[in-house]
Amino acid sequence: MDPRFTALLRPFLKHSGPEEAALTPDTDLRRLGVDSMQAIELLFAIEDTFGISLPDEELNDTTFATAGSLWRVIVDQLADEVPA
Amino acid sequence: MPDTRLPETPPGLPATPYAALDALPPTATGAEVWRALGGAGLLTRAYRGGNPRTGPDPEGLADLLSAADARFSLAATLSVSVQLATALPLLANGQQDCARHALDRALAGRATVALAATDATAGTDLTALRTHLTLDDDGLTLTGEKNWIANTTTAAHFLVLARHRPGRHFTHFTWVLVPAGTPGVTVRPADSALFADSGTGHLAFDGVRLGRDHVLGRAGFGLPLFARHIATERLAGAQWGVALCRRVLVDTHRHLTRRAHGDGTLWDLDAVRQRFASCLVRVRELRALVADLSDAVALHHDATAAATLKAAAGATVHHVLDTCGQLWGAVGFTTGGIQELRAQAALFGIGGGATEVVLGTLAYDAETVLAELARPGTLP
Repeated sequence: MDPRFTALLRPFLKHSGPEEAALTPDTDLRRLGVDSMQAIELLFAIEDTFGISLPDEELNDTTFATAGSLWRVIVDQLADEVPA
Repeated sequence: MPDTRLPETPPGLPATPYAALDALPPTATGAEVWRALGGAGLLTRAYRGGNPRTGPDPEGLADLLSAADARFSLAATLSVSVQLATALPLLANGQQDCARHALDRALAGRATVALAATDATAGTDLTALRTHLTLDDDGLTLTGEKNWIANTTTAAHFLVLARHRPGRHFTHFTWVLVPAGTPGVTVRPADSALFADSGTGHLAFDGVRLGRDHVLGRAGFGLPLFARHIATERLAGAQWGVALCRRVLVDTHRHLTRRAHGDGTLWDLDAVRQRFASCLVRVRELRALVADLSDAVALHHDATAAATLKAAAGATVHHVLDTCGQLWGAVGFTTGGIQELRAQAALFGIGGGATEVVLGTLAYDAETVLAELARPGTLP
């Protein structure tokens, strides 16, 4: 996962303890404190930071389940938006 | 408080920018106030560059709310506040012709817009809302109920928050722009004398069919858009709270200094003066908080700052209205008096996010708030 993404994500993980010092693709976002309100802020932060719009079909609970699932959608969108 | 809205500017001075409001009677409804503000070209003052798409101008927004509060009922100002702070900026997210047309008409004061978020379910449990839309190739179908919505009985358009998927996830909700009069839409006024001037009512949607161009903003972006714009409404509530408390205190001070007691007036009693002074402290605290946090909300959509303002406004308005109600004594029970206003002003702790809800938002960010309170370079 991109360091920009993990740095962006870290402040949202209010329940992250010492055992979660390193973010992994399996990091459970909701368990670590990303409730609805935080997820909304996270969504806006992602779109502003990476200059992308997450596709409507990817706006669902599966995308926001783990750090890895969210990063996968971002990567896909970044790839789609690379100029030819 | 029969003399609450006596003009403070002596006759003969130049007309204020709010001459259009001065032409209305104090009993004007929210829709009438909205029409006057729009007709005079004043509504755009609430936004940076005069454009709802660019975000709120805190000074312009505060001026408009204070001007309305000084002249009209709390319910009429509620009608204006909700539209200025939330409904129009939300409507400005629409790229389709129907949304642009509705926004233009609203800004000109030719139409009001109702923001229908609260469902038949509890307002404090927004993600449980049941109103749902189904999208298909030909359009959308909307079914459900919305209760206790300001501007409902007067609106030309309803902004309706609906779910397009089951479940509570924040991405399951979408805004729909519904023209009043669309087949399947039923409007019913709320049984409330306190908020009649705001056009508050209930809505029912029975298989309402609309084109897909009536989806406002992106599908799945209902709650994110709402979170951004309700923050402005919370700022507006705090600004309005300052104006409301000030005018109540002006009126109460006038009453206390004229009401005979013993050899002087009620104002000569230490207990009365001290209780009154406690209100001055509270309203100055609220005004300082507004000054401190306005830009965080207006420029950065700071939800914690907005929650802080909402919680403070609810507590301050309650304290001031409760205290002044006591100081007015039996006269406060006059029709249109402070006890009626106090009942209406309970709205500050309920509408737009109950105090308990916004305190929950603030608690979530407790560590950040505490860090911001630290004085740099002073801690061990």
